[in-house]
Amino acid sequence: MIQKISAPVSVQLVYDHRRHSVSPRQIFWDGRIIRIAKVGMHHTIREGRTLFHVFSVTSDNLFFRLKLDTENLFWTLEEIADGLPN
Amino acid sequence: MDYQIKLSFNRRLSCIMHIDLNSCFASIEQQANPFLRHKPIAVAAYDTPNGCILAASIEAKRLGVKVGLRVKEGRLLCPDLIVRAPDSDKYRAVHTALRKLLSGYTPKVISKSIDEFVLDFFGTLALQKGMFTIGKEIKNRIKEEIGDYLTVSIGLGPNRFLAKTASNLHKPDGLDEINANNFKEIYRSLGLMDLNGINRQNTIRLNTVGIYTVTDFFNADIPLLRCAFHSILAYYWFLRLRGWEIDDVDWDTKSFGHSYSLPKPLTSLEELAPILSKLVEKVGSRMRHAHFQAKGVHVALLYQDYQYFHEGKSLDQSIFDSRDIYHTAFYLLQHSPYQLPVRNIAISCFDLSPRTTLQLGLFYDSIRKDNLVIAIDSVNDRWGNFVITPATMINTENYVHDRIGFGQIRGLI
Repeated sequence: MIQKISAPVSVQLVYDHRRHSVSPRQIFWDGRIIRIAKVGMHHTIREGRTLFHVFSVTSDNLFFRLKLDTENLFWTLEEIADGLPN
Repeated sequence: MDYQIKLSFNRRLSCIMHIDLNSCFASIEQQANPFLRHKPIAVAAYDTPNGCILAASIEAKRLGVKVGLRVKEGRLLCPDLIVRAPDSDKYRAVHTALRKLLSGYTPKVISKSIDEFVLDFFGTLALQKGMFTIGKEIKNRIKEEIGDYLTVSIGLGPNRFLAKTASNLHKPDGLDEINANNFKEIYRSLGLMDLNGINRQNTIRLNTVGIYTVTDFFNADIPLLRCAFHSILAYYWFLRLRGWEIDDVDWDTKSFGHSYSLPKPLTSLEELAPILSKLVEKVGSRMRHAHFQAKGVHVALLYQDYQYFHEGKSLDQSIFDSRDIYHTAFYLLQHSPYQLPVRNIAISCFDLSPRTTLQLGLFYDSIRKDNLVIAIDSVNDRWGNFVITPATMINTENYVHDRIGFGQIRGLI
């Protein structure tokens, strides 16, 4: 089941200078703190000249698609899904 | 051309590598969402029952789900099939990352499609490592640097054709070579239709001259092959099967086109015109970004009952403005003799020339038009596609989504 959302979300992002890695650690959404267990994929897209970073991440039981607007550094939760058929 | 009529198998080192990302779109979806891994999933143009399946995961393929099936057919084969809509940006990102990784091995990296690359290692230092070692290293690096769930099948051969054939021998995650020592054994294990470029029609052609197996095909001389193909293709196949290169040709851009399968068949001109306008905007934008202009426009319509109409129009002058392309395309659309529901609509611009000079007109201000087009393109480049659109494109937000075409990828770095 997949749900398109497009809502503002709070994200804690950690940059590790030794490993040259950046990854979301937890998100605050719907009154809950959700710990990120795995980053499945990170990619970038451009809408016009604006660069967005998209993180496909999972908690223990849900998938989240998080989008960072590099113009204003605001995060959007675009999608939530589990691994079940629609 | 001098024909080599007696030619043995090319004994050159297998320095051509063909890399094929297994179940590309589906694997990338499984990479992004770990909850989809080890499950039958399909990426379909639409997730509605009539949506066409564009890619199936390895697990879905094992259950018989194939590219080209409808979603409802896929669900009959696999009731638990998870269907996802395509996310072209994600696939392009993986393609770009793969290309960057592979470019570290050889300067000759050719993208054959979104999920296929050809690497030519001839004369490179990397060759000293050994092709199998390089192949294994590439597989490991893809898992470490791009995605731990992504697998590639790698084929090695003395020419592109045999490298591709080798990449198809073991899927997923294969690493095989076809060379002068093993080609006879491998040819014995393949059917004619297993060869890339031999479809049903070519199989019939070969059968008519007594060629039924790949070994027969290899042993056939040029006169016999010419009886089958009646063209230069006979000689090309003669070379390909012997490991000599015939496919390292860079094709120029001959046209820019875009096609769209309608989610529901539409009949009236009023319904089709806005979609045509959006297709024209996409084609015009791509053509101008590649610095081309066109002297011809072509429109093709596939109807619900599989009748087909297509017509092209050559023009006196080169055009680059989407409005001019639309006028010609709309004129062609009006000329269709059928008033039937349309399933698929396609438009292309042909007879291209570099857009280096501007032809001034006697009856209109070319410079003004050129400046307007540049200004509109600049705004769309800055703020995103379709920020400024023609009124003819109104209400097409849900039509003509971003899709990746089959075949060669151009303009993706």
